[in-house]
Amino acid sequence: MTEIKTSIGAKTNNKRMNQIPIGVGLLIAIIGVGFFVGIQQPKSALLWGFGVAAGFVLQRSRFCFTASLRDPLLTGGTSLTKAVVIAIATATIGFAALQFAAVTNGIAIPGNIDPVGIHTVVGAVLFGIGMVIAGGCASGTLMRVGEGSVMQMISFIFFLIGSLWGAKDFGWWSINFMPEKGIFLPEVLGWPLAITVQFVLLLAIFILADWHGNKKPSQ
Amino acid sequence: MSAIRLECLGEACPIPLIKAQKKMAALRVGEVMIVETDHSCALKNVPEWASKEGYHVEVTEVDAGLWEIYIKKTK
Amino acid sequence: MDLRNNVYYKKFLKEPWPYTVGAVILGLLNIGMLVSTGKAWGVTSYFATWAAWIYQAIGGHPESWFYFQEKSEAAALVGGFAQNMQSLSDFGIIFGALLATLLASQFRIKKIRSWKQVAAAALGGLIMGYGARISFGCNIGTLFSGVASMSIHGWVYWIFIFFGAWIGGKLLVKYLI
Repeated sequence: MTEIKTSIGAKTNNKRMNQIPIGVGLLIAIIGVGFFVGIQQPKSALLWGFGVAAGFVLQRSRFCFTASLRDPLLTGGTSLTKAVVIAIATATIGFAALQFAAVTNGIAIPGNIDPVGIHTVVGAVLFGIGMVIAGGCASGTLMRVGEGSVMQMISFIFFLIGSLWGAKDFGWWSINFMPEKGIFLPEVLGWPLAITVQFVLLLAIFILADWHGNKKPSQ
Repeated sequence: MSAIRLECLGEACPIPLIKAQKKMAALRVGEVMIVETDHSCALKNVPEWASKEGYHVEVTEVDAGLWEIYIKKTK
Repeated sequence: MDLRNNVYYKKFLKEPWPYTVGAVILGLLNIGMLVSTGKAWGVTSYFATWAAWIYQAIGGHPESWFYFQEKSEAAALVGGFAQNMQSLSDFGIIFGALLATLLASQFRIKKIRSWKQVAAAALGGLIMGYGARISFGCNIGTLFSGVASMSIHGWVYWIFIFFGAWIGGKLLVKYLI
């Protein structure tokens, strides 16, 4: 064992290319694009910055929403499931504060609150199958395009085609299944109960994931 | 000692992990498996699984974006 | 001294971060987006806009569809990219990931392995695109931002995407391994 390790390990440092200078160049270019866009559209420059930061963090931490949903039943791993719960819980704190302020001031509630119905079920199941066989969801596909995956580039092109197809059929789904507006938990349950339900459910998923992940592997 | 190589170049998650899990089940205690991968996520989830199982595991970066994961079946 | 042997370089730019660190930062980034732009993080609605621009360029008329007659989507189509650069947040993910990969000196073109893989990527991409449109987003827009917005559609999506992922897993084991 040690023999194999050293022979491979020795190979490591010889011909390896240093990509850090290219990375620094790219960082300068990213900042440049930010400034250029910022002159015309400050908000878009901000979104560019957030996008870059998100892509950087997704790659650095190997964060993967697909794995968080796929692995518990396929490979038994649940550490990403727990991580997704943490991400959602963190975001909920900020979102709820902003939403509460908006409601108090009588302005439109911020956040993604969209109509729920059969279309949500069909869309989620389709998306779930697709992301597992393609090896990544939307953010994962973009991240792996950045990492240099040719397969994910193909998946991305077809993702665009699928989006167009979905947009074309959207009217049919909308007329037949979609209610006027989404259901916002605090509107139904009141704030104290809604916040409680939200965090109790998140905690329950976390504990369930933790328990499942600690079970003795079945293989 | 010989090691069994598992080449997973170009394979996306979770295929390297599933292949490793299957292959490992067929190994005898003391045998070593080397998983070759270019998928950055595999070098997190494969070692995670292996150490959860209690196997000895080490990762070597062979080239830019190319890794070899050594797993020794210790039990 | 070579930067590549520096302990902090290794810690922050070379070794993968723990999942929880990523989780907390992504949660904060999403809050940051909602605070500063008024919109929670989303990815796939821009895909529809891009695809519609391309379709228009080759002679299609997506602007007549119900979807693109809704206020925000219609506005996105009119000006083209120069007027609507919000989708830069998606390009940002690609370049942010590329940056992280290069700074870790780990960039490599991952070649295609088999035709089966190509077919799976294409089919997967296609149904993800369709599914995301009819359910108002992907794992980011509906799962991450939707659940964090305390919207029922986010929770329903979470339950059923788990079921979809289970079916996907069965297909993967049967046909792709």
